[in-house]
Amino acid sequence: MATTTDTEQVTSTWTKADQKAARKRSAALHRKEHGWAAAFMAAPVIGWVAFLLFPMGFSIYASMTNWNGIGNMTFIGLDNYTRLVQDPYFWKALWNTVFYMIGIPIGLAISLALALALSRKIRGRTFFRTVYYIPVISSLAAIAILWQWAYNGDFGLVNQALSLVGIDGPNWLQDPTFAKPALIIMAVWKGLGYSTLLYLAAVQAVPRSLYEAASLDGASGWKKFTKITWPMVQPVTFFLVVTNIIAGSMIFTEINIMTPTGGPSWSTASLVWYVWNQAFRNLQMGYATAMALVLGILVLIVTVIQFRINRANDFSID
Amino acid sequence: MRKFKTAAITATMVGALTLAACSGGSSSDGSGSAEPDTAGGDAPNELTFMFRGSDYDKAAYQTAIDKFEEETGAEVTMIITDADQYATKLQAAIAGNKVPDVFYIEPGKMMGYVYAGVLADLTDYVGQDVIDNIWDFGTDAYRFNTETGERGNSADALYGLPKDVGPFGFGYNTVLFEKLGLEAPSADEPMTFDEFVALCKELTQDDELDYQTWGTGLNVVWNSQAFVWGAGADWISEDQKTVTVDTPEFAEALQWFADLGLVEGVTPSVEQAQSLDTYQRWMAGEIGFFPVAPWDIATYNSVAEENPDTFGYDVIPYPVANEGDDWSTWLGSLGIAVSENSKNKELAAQLATYLSTDLDAQKTLAEGKVQIPNLIDYATGEWIETDAPAAGWPANTKAFLEIAESKGKPLPGVWTYTPEWYDNFWIGIENVVDNGSQTAADFVASKQTEMQQLLDQSWISADQAKVTG
Repeated sequence: MATTTDTEQVTSTWTKADQKAARKRSAALHRKEHGWAAAFMAAPVIGWVAFLLFPMGFSIYASMTNWNGIGNMTFIGLDNYTRLVQDPYFWKALWNTVFYMIGIPIGLAISLALALALSRKIRGRTFFRTVYYIPVISSLAAIAILWQWAYNGDFGLVNQALSLVGIDGPNWLQDPTFAKPALIIMAVWKGLGYSTLLYLAAVQAVPRSLYEAASLDGASGWKKFTKITWPMVQPVTFFLVVTNIIAGSMIFTEINIMTPTGGPSWSTASLVWYVWNQAFRNLQMGYATAMALVLGILVLIVTVIQFRINRANDFSID
Repeated sequence: MRKFKTAAITATMVGALTLAACSGGSSSDGSGSAEPDTAGGDAPNELTFMFRGSDYDKAAYQTAIDKFEEETGAEVTMIITDADQYATKLQAAIAGNKVPDVFYIEPGKMMGYVYAGVLADLTDYVGQDVIDNIWDFGTDAYRFNTETGERGNSADALYGLPKDVGPFGFGYNTVLFEKLGLEAPSADEPMTFDEFVALCKELTQDDELDYQTWGTGLNVVWNSQAFVWGAGADWISEDQKTVTVDTPEFAEALQWFADLGLVEGVTPSVEQAQSLDTYQRWMAGEIGFFPVAPWDIATYNSVAEENPDTFGYDVIPYPVANEGDDWSTWLGSLGIAVSENSKNKELAAQLATYLSTDLDAQKTLAEGKVQIPNLIDYATGEWIETDAPAAGWPANTKAFLEIAESKGKPLPGVWTYTPEWYDNFWIGIENVVDNGSQTAADFVASKQTEMQQLLDQSWISADQAKVTG
């Protein structure tokens, strides 16, 4: 006895041709979707290749060439790197660049203190927040010129302020001992608003319940800060440290304006300033690229170390 | 917070990775703007001209270019950039194979550009009559022997024409001299160093007038050359292959220069010069002797007009070590070159010649007190006789022409492949001239070897560029 189920009936109504057409439609749809997916993926991939992979590859190759930036390249292997190791000005510029990093912890400490102060309900809070942020949106060139005047050894604002408390200030930008600290102070001042803003957001995001619980347990203000606030703002601290190190390693504009010849006894020349000079003034683009790559690798290494340290100290309140 | 952290990690990793590819070449103010297309013209009559300069330059060239377009049927696109960004933009245009047909070139960078095949040889495009009517320095600065690497020989190929020649003259404050009852220095004969110091001492007063005055206030990087040359010393040998700073006459000249402030006390102190630099003090009437160059004339004239009681000026020769010695100073220049790959090379060469030697353009630039004329016949004739006095050039403007004609030399480092060896000289110079912690003799002795190594390296780089292009 031949019986037919509903399914069989339905199936029987689908001829082989129908099934084939359905498969075809489905395949076409898949192809279309895959095409769109590929197109969406292509944009970032092409961008990555064009703006990251190719420039990086080109930089690596250029660093192994004798190239003046306008003519042909001649492959010289690792000669530029050998030269770099023996170049006292490279080491001096690298040391100066590392020295500038002293400003990072100082700037972060002041920023956090300011953020804690500004998170309280004090009079003129909005005014202060605005004032601290103004340097961030101001032209770096203009700020550098203003600070150049402020650092004047004779009538500069800084020395005048110091003289009020009986200190005979140095000739900041003309003294090899004080030229770098002078630039650090300016950089800290310039970056204060940005760091404070991020810290402020982080401080305000800390759940109030944690502080309330701590208060019930009798925790002091200092304990609350060290056990709650500081750990809770740690991701922001980490972000600021990493980005500040990257930005600090590229310091150029303020040096080029305030001490255009590299400062007294070359005391302010940063590595990027030296790279720029070698590339565009001394027509040694290949050597300059090698130095830039070494700087990039050093920053990468420091960043990776920071990630490791940060991971070790990671915590969650979930 | 975790999302924020992930974003931060991504951002920082990308930042770190891109650092090497992105470092360097940033503009000094960090600003960015749409880049004009610098590529040379395609059509047979199209040209691009890239340059930097003041409004006067632009106005003068616009008039010349309008005339050039009318005469030749050419269509010239002008691309003007900020002065501080010009060099990097040109280098980027060359690297991007978008070289303009006609563009400014610094004589110091010419060797690299010639070896790279960027500059056209203009020798066959520019008539001898045109060349004969331009200051020798104006054309010699753009001549180059690609075989020997020698510069400045009038028999070698010509790779550019002068936009200008810039004599770095010396001047004195006529009003201050009158006020202090001092006899004005000779307009023709140079003072000796001793006479100069004696006058500077008389000019340095803090109780004669109701403001303090000084004899002079000279920046060592830009002003010491004339004094070193005036003592018979130099930074480099004539063949540009040997550094010559470690000589007794060089050390003596540098020490004498440093002692103007350290021993004689005839210059503002470092702190005083910092609070109001010597350029400002000169214009405020506080300084007796100071450099005067053509590009300062417009400013100095307006200061003299506004403050006739404190400021007036004229040009004089630079002092020399001994009576009878020849004086000299440095002479700058900016060139106009043509791209080797221009599709309209002949027309481009015509434009370069026009911009360098068109009489109307030269008159406009000289009237605007931007530069002295490039054309010898005009400069030594109508201009010095009538046009220059009418336009307000200083009484002894002929000193500028003398510098352009025979007293001017290129700054050391301009005629070598790279100037790194010369730049090195200034590192630590403050120990000699500002605080006196090092004697000039010790300083030059400590510099000689390192500078020679850098000069040797410059020649090696030049030889390599010659081979590789």
